[in-house]
Amino acid sequence: MGSRLHVSQLKKAFGPVESAHTLAIEDVSFDVDESEFLSIVGPSGCGKSTLLQIVAGLIPATSGAVHVDDRLVTEPPEGLVYVFQQYGRSLFPWRTTLENVMFAVQRKLGKAEAREHSREYLKKVGLQDFENHYPWQLSGGMQQRVVIARALAAQPKVLLLDEPFSSVDALTRIELHELILDLWTKHRFTAVLVTHDVDEAIYLADRVLVLSKRPTVALESIPTGIPRPRHPIESRETPEFLKLRHELLGRLLGANRNG
Amino acid sequence: MADRPAHSTMERLLGVTTLAVILVAIEASVWTGSVNGFIVPAPSRILTRSFELVASGEVFLPLATTLYLLFAAYFIASALAILLGILMGRFPAIYNLFEPLIEGIRPLPKAALLPLLILLLGLGDTMKLTVIGLAVFFPVLINTIQGVQGVDPTLVNTARTFGYGTGAILYKVVLPAAMPLIAAGMRVSLALALILAVITEMITGTKGLGYLIVDMQRSFKVLDMYAWLVVLAIVGYLLNAIFIFLERRGLHWASTRE
Repeated sequence: MGSRLHVSQLKKAFGPVESAHTLAIEDVSFDVDESEFLSIVGPSGCGKSTLLQIVAGLIPATSGAVHVDDRLVTEPPEGLVYVFQQYGRSLFPWRTTLENVMFAVQRKLGKAEAREHSREYLKKVGLQDFENHYPWQLSGGMQQRVVIARALAAQPKVLLLDEPFSSVDALTRIELHELILDLWTKHRFTAVLVTHDVDEAIYLADRVLVLSKRPTVALESIPTGIPRPRHPIESRETPEFLKLRHELLGRLLGANRNG
Repeated sequence: MADRPAHSTMERLLGVTTLAVILVAIEASVWTGSVNGFIVPAPSRILTRSFELVASGEVFLPLATTLYLLFAAYFIASALAILLGILMGRFPAIYNLFEPLIEGIRPLPKAALLPLLILLLGLGDTMKLTVIGLAVFFPVLINTIQGVQGVDPTLVNTARTFGYGTGAILYKVVLPAAMPLIAAGMRVSLALALILAVITEMITGTKGLGYLIVDMQRSFKVLDMYAWLVVLAIVGYLLNAIFIFLERRGLHWASTRE
């Protein structure tokens, strides 16, 4: 223990009877240190999102435990924020951009202070001129920025990212990568990113955790070893990056084939 | 609510023309004597009489009587229906508890309950509010349940990860997210409330708009009967128009979203 996030021997079965069909996650353990960026990759359908939702305290595990700062997670813990894959569905359409960000903090800060605090975070993601827009008036990339601003406005110790960049176009994705890395560098939260995009996993993370296909076990945890600050083009062309990419893709494709 | 493009002035004029043609035709038939002017008075005389009722202030008391009954029942029943609907939509145990009871009462035309309710509750306001309230209750309840069940779990989970408890989630996430459907139910209920208010008055003799229409007919004041009917039609039209106006303002985010 002692790490920020400690996941031990998680198992998750759906339905009342445990069998090969209902077992989604067989055995996953990992640790994440304070201000570490961990990526989790695995073949599609391997229960990455389920895993992250258990870590977030949104759904219970069948067995095993999650600790955040040595405290057992039984419900969504204080200081942990989850960024959902479907940004369009996690923003409140009846709230403006600013009000959406305020949602993260207005319980704690009160309205006036929450407003100022939220403005600051909208500015960090470059949306200060859109505070009175409604989410559906913004592009997909901008909506995801609002989600990121809202997540960070809560000043989380742990940020869980569930394929947050999977439904925006390629260039927007690179912009969002830069944004998240920049904010991570400044605020030093612990980040756990779940993705099926190997490039993205390596580019952002200090370490990549590889999952098997369902029923899922943790196969291996590989430090990326790519120096920071990272560059969206050059970092992707370093020998370390290419070697790791080769290895991970091989593993994932292999897992899909025979597994 | 699917938003159609706004009607052009031309299309509006067409609809008004239909109405005008019918009125003129009736007017002409009365003047030429082909229709009995006692049973069907000339529209011009009816409208004049309606205007007099309004201008003289004679309309005020009956209108207030009807609207008081209508709104009191409407707001109490809507509030209860939304409350129960949220609980039923959110908690399967509560849903199972009430579902058979609701399915039993819901299909009954509420006007058919009047004799029973008079027997049980007498002729006072309690009975009137109950029968109108029952009519209001079910469309709001059914729509609230549907609206609540349709709330995207992602929204609820988002609130959970920000540390919101069950009560705060119901109030700040589930209620607003279900509001477009709740409002649709409330719109249906508003029309039902007016119908039931009028029927209740006719049967119990409460001196509102519904009673006056019966009373004028029984006293052979046929022109006045028509005039009060026109007043009632205008009240119904305005109630719906005000509701739509408020709905558009309050739920602009729902109708403009793709």
